[in-house]
Parts: sequence; C-alpha cells; structure tokens
Amino acid sequence: MNRPKVLIVDDEEIFVQNMSRLLGKRGYEVTGVHSGQAAIDAMENNEFEVMVLDLKMPGMDGLMTLKTMKKLGRSVETLILTGHGSIDTALDAVKLGAYDYLTKPCAIEQLVAKLEIALRNRRTQP
Amino acid sequence: MPVSKHDEVANGGPIERKRRDRYRRLFRRFVLLAVFCSIAPLLAVGWAINRHYTDIAETRMFSGFRNEVGYHHKIIEMFLKELRSKLSLVAWTHSREHLSNPANLNKIFELINQKGGTITDLGVIDHEGRHLAYIGPYDLMDKNYSRSFWFREALEKGIYISDMFLGFRLEPHFIIAVAGSHNGEKWILRATVDTEAFRSLVENVQIGKTGEVYLLNREGFFQTNPRFSGHIMEKSSFPLEQIHEGIQVKTVEPEPENGRQEPTQVMSLAWLSEPRWLLVVKQDHSEAFNDVNHANYAVLVFLHLSALTILIVSVFISRHMVNLIRRQDQEADILNRQLTQAGKLASIGQLSAGVAHEINNPLAVIMTELQIVVDAAQEVPEMDKAFGAQLHGSAKQIFMQIQRCKQITTNLLRFSRRTESMIETVHLNKFIKEVIGLIEREATTSGIRFSTDLDENLPAILSDPSQLQQVFLSLITNAVESMEGRGHGSITIRTRLRDSAEGLSPKIRVEIADTGNGISTDHIDSIFDPYFCAKPAGRSAGLGLSICYGIIRQLGGDIAVQSNPGEGTEFFIHFPLRPPTELLQQMVR
Repeated sequence: MNRPKVLIVDDEEIFVQNMSRLLGKRGYEVTGVHSGQAAIDAMENNEFEVMVLDLKMPGMDGLMTLKTMKKLGRSVETLILTGHGSIDTALDAVKLGAYDYLTKPCAIEQLVAKLEIALRNRRTQP
Repeated sequence: MPVSKHDEVANGGPIERKRRDRYRRLFRRFVLLAVFCSIAPLLAVGWAINRHYTDIAETRMFSGFRNEVGYHHKIIEMFLKELRSKLSLVAWTHSREHLSNPANLNKIFELINQKGGTITDLGVIDHEGRHLAYIGPYDLMDKNYSRSFWFREALEKGIYISDMFLGFRLEPHFIIAVAGSHNGEKWILRATVDTEAFRSLVENVQIGKTGEVYLLNREGFFQTNPRFSGHIMEKSSFPLEQIHEGIQVKTVEPEPENGRQEPTQVMSLAWLSEPRWLLVVKQDHSEAFNDVNHANYAVLVFLHLSALTILIVSVFISRHMVNLIRRQDQEADILNRQLTQAGKLASIGQLSAGVAHEINNPLAVIMTELQIVVDAAQEVPEMDKAFGAQLHGSAKQIFMQIQRCKQITTNLLRFSRRTESMIETVHLNKFIKEVIGLIEREATTSGIRFSTDLDENLPAILSDPSQLQQVFLSLITNAVESMEGRGHGSITIRTRLRDSAEGLSPKIRVEIADTGNGISTDHIDSIFDPYFCAKPAGRSAGLGLSICYGIIRQLGGDIAVQSNPGEGTEFFIHFPLRPPTELLQQMVR
C-alpha cells in the first residue's frame, strides 16, 4: 500500500522536523513547510491527501491559507493543529472546510487517529 | 483613568486637598445662592412692605392726632365764643342803669353761671373806668381801670378778651370785656372767666403719660398750666410760632435744656381766633407711636428671624447637598477603581491568552522529542531491562506532565475569555448542530450515534455564544467519554420552548441524554462542585461541570441532572430568552 501523502504546515521548524520523523516512522510520507505561502506552492506541484495546518503563523495565517486554497480550488482534507486553544477559530476553520482540529501539545497517537479518519473518508469518496 | 490619580485620592494627597477645597467652595456658593435668592428678596420685600405700612400707620396716627386737636380746639373756641355771645347779648339787651343795680347784675351773673361755673365775677364799668356795679369775690369797687390796657381796647374795639394776667387780685385770670352804649356814652360789661373751669376744660385731656395740652399767647406765655413744660404765666421755651390757619402737626426735636436732652415730641398747634392763643398739644413721639413702633419692631424681628432661619436652614441643606455630592464622587471613585480593576483583569486576560499560546508551542515540541526518544528506545535491540523500564516510566511521567501543563493553559485561556461576555442573538438549534458537528466525526468512530429532537419554532435567545459553546461542548464531550470503550451508545439532544406558566417567564429547555455509564448515587450530589472530578487525572479535557454550572447560572439559566448508573445520564438545562440585567450591566464592551 502506498504511503499516504501528508503535508505539515507550521512555522516552528523543529516541530515540523520532529513530526515528519515520527509520522514517517508510522508509515506516512510527510512533506513539511513553514508558511502558508509555502503550503500553497507545495500544493501546486503535489497531491496531498491530508494537510496538518497550524493556525498562528507569520505572514499568511492558517485561515487565510485555507481560504486561498479554497479559492484556488485545491481540495485536501485539513486537520487543524494549533496551540491556539480557541474554539471560535476552530469553528471558523471547520466552516472553511477543515474536518477536525487538535490542540497542541497532543499525543502522536491522537494525531494518527485523526489522520486515519481523514484518509478513510477521502478514500471512500470517489 | 491613570492608576496614579486614584491612588492619590485614596492617600489624601494634593488631589484630595483640591477636592476638599472644591467642596468648600461649592458649599459657600450654595449658601450665597440661598442668601441672594431667598434672604435678600425676603428682606428687601419685608423692609419695603414694613416701611410702607409704617408710613400708612404714621399718617393715620398723625391724622388721628390732628383730629383730636381739632376737636379740642373747637371745644375751647366754642366755650369762649359762647361766653362772649352771652355777655354781648346782655350788654346789648340791657341798659346800663338796669345792670348797675346789683340785684339785677347778680341775677344775670347767676343766669350765666347756671350751667356750671363759667365766670367768677361780673362788673359794670363806666367810660371813666369806675366800677358802677360788681358781683364777685374780690373787693374791686373802688378800683379804676382807665389806664388799663384792656379797658381802652374794650372801649375801642367793642369787645376784648385778655391774656392771663395777675391784675389787682394778684391771681392769674383773664377777662372778657364787652362795650355797651348808653346815651352816647360807652360803658363796659366785664366778666372774669373762671380760671379753674377754663383750665380744666383745656387741660383735662388725658394724652397718655407724656402728653400735655396748654395755651400760649402770642408772646409765648403760658395761659394755662402745662403738665410738664412750665407754669402758668411763665414764658415757654417754645419758639414763637407764626399765626396760621388750621392745625399744624409736626415732629420736634427739642434743644437740650439744662444739660438734659428732651425726647422727640409730636406737636399739634392750632391758633384760637379770639383771643389769639395757640393751642399746643404735644406728646412724646415714642408714646404716641407706641403701637406703630411696636408693630414695626415685631415685624422687623420676625423678618430677621425668618431671614436667620432661612440662613440656618440653607446652611444645613447646603451641607447636606455637598455631602451628597461628596458621596456621589466617592461612589464614582469606587466605580472608577472597579473599572480600572476590570481593565487590569482584561489586560491580564489578554496577557495570559498570549502566554498560553506561546507555551503550547514549546510543549508540543517537547512532546515530539519525547516521542522520538521513545521510538528510538524501541529500536534498541537489547536494552538493559532496568534502563528500559526507567525510560518508559519517565516517558510516561513526562507525557502526563505535558498534559497537565496543557490543562493549565487551557484553563487560563478559558478564564481570560470569561472576563469578556459578548451578548448576541443565538439560534440554539443551529448552534447545537454546529457543536455536534465538531464532535461527531470522532464520536461516530467509537460507534456513538447522535440524535436530535429540536423544536422548530424555538425562538432565538440573547446570550453569550462562546460561553454557550464551551458548555455544550463540555457536556457532550462528557457524554461521549461516558460511553468510551463500549463501542456503541447514543446521545440525544432535545430542545423545547417552555411556555410562560405559573407567572414565570418563558424559557428554553435543553436536554442532553446519553446511554453511558451514568453517575453513581454517591457522586451525583456533588458533580457540580468545584474540584470534583470523577475521571482519572490527566484524562479530563473538558470544562469542569462546576464551570458549566457557573456559566449557565451567570447567563440566567439553571442545570439539573438525573442519572441511572449503568444506564445513562440526562442533563436538563434551562435558558432565559434574555440574559439577566446584572449581566448586561457588567458588559465591558
């Protein structure tokens, strides 16, 4: 089975690095970027099945990134992963198409569980 | 408001002193206002009216005085006139011969004196001044009057009334002499007026304690005996008056006499026509105007007492008002301080929100590093058992502590958001569906079904959406967790409008029922208590039920719970359509 392609977007480099390593060990092919713009660029050239998106980033923040992607017609299951514990923004993100959210810090297992849900959904849809 | 200012107020610094000065000035201004607006007009009007009425009273007094004098004047005039007429009549209707007979003269004498003594003697005198006949108590038959002034005046003028004089009898008396004619020869009928009778007529007027009446001749000699001013036939110190018609009333301040200052007097002066005597009636001004002055003083005393009362009352009222103002200011100070405090809290809230966000990121990194270490440890082929156990133990502990830090920041964030209540229109049904949407995906993987029974006609309510979110999220999360590990379960959410019954306002009723483990009867009474948690440490991720309870109560609602252990739990929540007024007043925005 081919490894699912995951895009992680977070401005904290070491977090992205560690996540890539941990998810890589658990069977995912992870690409990490550090800004909203970089995420949009990455989406241009690659097909990702799930995106793990941080909300608070300098420059284009998470919501902006989502909006822009929607405008560009890019569809990808998005999981919000934020240290920003506010439910308002989570709701906003859900309205913009994110399917779930998690607050940092979270156990890797939790993240994996949510990724699997997304992948299952995506794979069952035509 | 800068923090330093209200601290200065509290400490009695320069601001407090300025405040006190301000109050003092305000107080003075109030009192001055009262004085100008009430006392001054009162006094002005009072004085004016008093003056006006005093003038009226004085005028009346004077005119009363004048009337009295006029009356008295008339009486005296009439007495003299009557006597004169009688004598004239006798002289014209009787012959000298007839009257020279003492018996006849006596008869006339008695007739004249019939209605009380008016003349003390009566005499007939020939043109040479010799007595022809005399009726009277004095021995005057051999007296000759040819050189007497009155005799010559009487012969010349036909009638003569004298001033008081001593004459041959050496007693003050005055005479009326009427001339008659006999065969071309003139003769005089002379009568002496009864001094006593006349004097009593003049003087017997009671004019208070200081009043006196007397007659003065043209040279200023007393013709009667005044009560105080002198003696009959003495010269009065009264300045000579011009002869005038009618009655003159005037106020006189006499010159100091013998080193004594006589009080101010009211004098009434009227000239008799024949003889030319001045009738003087006088009284101490103070006695004459006693009543008027009395009334005057009474009014003035009353007026000034009233003014004083007004002053005192306005001082008290002003003080009371200034105190009220001071108290208002103090309350305003307190409110301002509270406002500042609330502002501080809000700042702290915002600060803590920032801190919470910042802390979560490093925590996340720690978590990933921990995971990497654990992963790496698993790949070590032969790890020392003790070391491995220690590693895993410590890893677990680190994991739990990270969760704990997360819980702390979560609570901090929730605290910071709770200081800002924002009231909006909330459509509960839509709201609940959104919240379910947030949880649904995770829940359905555990085999939990959601079902809703929402009243379509549920009215929108005014409440705080973020706090409502937290409450529902928390309750539903609890419900989900209560069914963990089972693989099946259902959560039912029902909304109803509870009508206004029994005089209570309408409320929205929300029921959240689950088929989970339920709450044991031991715990059910304290589940809303703070610090009570039935879950193992580190597992709870939702708001404590006590916070839920607090939020619901603050929003004006209430929450109740029913549970059957092993079967399920049901929460009943009521929301008012509008938040309570205290909440609305607390709104900072």
